[in-house]
Amino acid sequence: MTKALKINKNTDQGVQEFLKVLLENNKVKGVFTLKKISKDGSIAYSLITDPDQLNDAVPFYPLMPVNAGKLLSRFTLKGSTKKPIVAFLKPCELRGFVELIKREQGSLENIFIISSTCGGVYPIKMSLNGALDKNLSKYWDTVKKGEISPDLRPACKACTEFIPYTADITFDLIGNPELDKQCVLFLNTKKGEELAKDIKGELLEKKIDSKKLDNICNKREIEKKKIFGELETKMKGMDGLIEIFGKCIGCHGCSKVCPICYCKLCGFENSDFEYKPSNYEADFRKRGGIRVPPGTLFYHLGRLDHISISCVGCGSCEDVCPVDIPISIIFKKIGESVQKMFEYIPGKNVEEEIPLITFKEEEFAEVEE
Amino acid sequence: MNEFKGAVIPAKSGVKKTIIDLLEKALDKGIFDAVILPMEVPAGDSFVYVLIKDKSLLKDAFLLPPVMFVQGAKAVSSVTRLGEGNLKIAAIMRPCEIRAVIELAKLGQTNIENMTLISIDCPGVLPTSDFLNDPKKSMQLFDDDAKNLDDKIMRPVCRICDKSSMVSGDLHIGTLGAKKDTFFIISNTEKGEDVVDKLGINLKDKIDSWKAKVKNISEEKQKKRKKSHIDLKSKTGGLDNFLDTFSQCINCHNCMRVCPVCSCRLCYFDSDKVKHPAEDYLSRAERKGSIRFLPDTALFQMGRMMHMTISCVSCGCCEDACPVSIPVAQIFSMIADETQALFDYVSGRSVDEPIPLVTYKEKELHEMEDAND
Repeated sequence: MTKALKINKNTDQGVQEFLKVLLENNKVKGVFTLKKISKDGSIAYSLITDPDQLNDAVPFYPLMPVNAGKLLSRFTLKGSTKKPIVAFLKPCELRGFVELIKREQGSLENIFIISSTCGGVYPIKMSLNGALDKNLSKYWDTVKKGEISPDLRPACKACTEFIPYTADITFDLIGNPELDKQCVLFLNTKKGEELAKDIKGELLEKKIDSKKLDNICNKREIEKKKIFGELETKMKGMDGLIEIFGKCIGCHGCSKVCPICYCKLCGFENSDFEYKPSNYEADFRKRGGIRVPPGTLFYHLGRLDHISISCVGCGSCEDVCPVDIPISIIFKKIGESVQKMFEYIPGKNVEEEIPLITFKEEEFAEVEE
Repeated sequence: MNEFKGAVIPAKSGVKKTIIDLLEKALDKGIFDAVILPMEVPAGDSFVYVLIKDKSLLKDAFLLPPVMFVQGAKAVSSVTRLGEGNLKIAAIMRPCEIRAVIELAKLGQTNIENMTLISIDCPGVLPTSDFLNDPKKSMQLFDDDAKNLDDKIMRPVCRICDKSSMVSGDLHIGTLGAKKDTFFIISNTEKGEDVVDKLGINLKDKIDSWKAKVKNISEEKQKKRKKSHIDLKSKTGGLDNFLDTFSQCINCHNCMRVCPVCSCRLCYFDSDKVKHPAEDYLSRAERKGSIRFLPDTALFQMGRMMHMTISCVSCGCCEDACPVSIPVAQIFSMIADETQALFDYVSGRSVDEPIPLVTYKEKELHEMEDAND
């Protein structure tokens, strides 16, 4: 039976107090979380060391300015942190971080991971001009009821992986009507139990209510079917691909914000892929006109090939697309089918190897000639 | 203004059709082997640059699409970055795109030896997101407003652009001040003269009405520009305002990657130089109580400003690509005016003018030196 800690404070206060105790008792040297960073209410991930500044921490704010898995990778890229920190991540951010660790782009050492059951986040555009703040109370109402908030990122509406896999501590948020009165956190690991030791609260033997979560999962499955179905009607065959990706401006923003795309220099920005004048001259023997810069579709197919096995469906790519291509849904849909083929759930287990770098002699005999 | 040579071209069948006919003729005569022109994508929700050799494709070309999805200089550079090649190519683009081509040529990022650069009077472009909301309606709006020289719906930088008819390539297509069913062809270089000569066009007509109209518009825009910059400076100037303005920045670097002038393959701000050990981040946080993560968002913006504003052509692509709607083009364009004025430089004005930042002059900017030296 998992241990759980009940704090008799509302979730916002409970979590802030929890973090303060951790910093003041020197259990951790830093807290990595979303924080208000300016007068106008901009929210950004921050590394906080001063307990007083935790007053501006908003760990469960429904926004993902950047996938935090990518940020923690940057934090530990040059080696694991010597001093312990605690990091708040949404389930898909945690999975992104785990996938990056498998690619030797980060380390979990000395990092306590806190996550929650996740009600999803809003598109980043909503955070501008205060629109998101106005929606907050509605958002938490739907979370409490275990429903899907309208206007969420499409990837979030269709997300069925909203329970974190490898967190040390999980906050019980969705389908929890008591959010305003009490704060329940599940201590999943020894590390998590150790962290919660000094916190005032009631220690319970309690498991997360899986029936309640199954219910929510079903609602998301229905939404997913609908969203995938809409995409399928649009994206049929080569013509469909061209139609959907035709407006891509080649900014590669999707790859820059993707938690899985970690290459310092993307192959598609590499000189090897650059067209020489002679390539154009050769192409002209086959066709009368060539889109320039070339390789628009090639880039997306290439990226699908490279990352779909590990796509965590966070939706960051779509948020930064200047021309509104439904890219997160495309990647999520194809990602899920590739992952199913290999019976792989990205970010579920840090010990599990990535299928594409694992050689098995007997595999996919059916695709052979 | 330079003493341009010009010709009045009759266009009974419309300006676009006449220009396309001339391009066809140029392809037939071998004056060009291919042309780079904007075309609508099959879905009708975007415009892309296409390198066209088959003249039958020309009929689908758009000379002035209502949007700038990709800056034309990026298209040109993708064709000729690795050398001039064997193809003689004409590129027809907006003046800011031609200016960016010229900057890239000076930066060694495109070879224009075999290219003929043709600009066209520009009414501005719509912001990408406005267009995408309703492409069909936007198209209509753009056509109407372009005709009436109404710039209210255009990109903010287009509304205050004083170089929308700037001639810096080989040839320019002037529609301003032209009599009904005519337009001007204006030549700026010997290469341009040679092209029109081969097409059987004599450059001996008066272009005074075009000049007068252009002068009139750019003076008007300059006034608007000054006013808008005063306003913008009061909102974004100084460190606090600057940090607030960029506080939403998520470090995606979209602005940099769509910028026609930012041509580095690996930006310094994406390089290993900005990746630090965990302890460095923590000790920085300890000094201030907290740091934003990633830190150095403002440093990226200021770094990019320092690297590229001398060549900024105020096209506005950066702002359209910003996922958090920072008025980045307006700010960079304002700073560009000042950095370029400091060196008496106008980006993309002439291929013969060296870029000041790569030009050493012993006697320069003494006023910045220490008075005691």
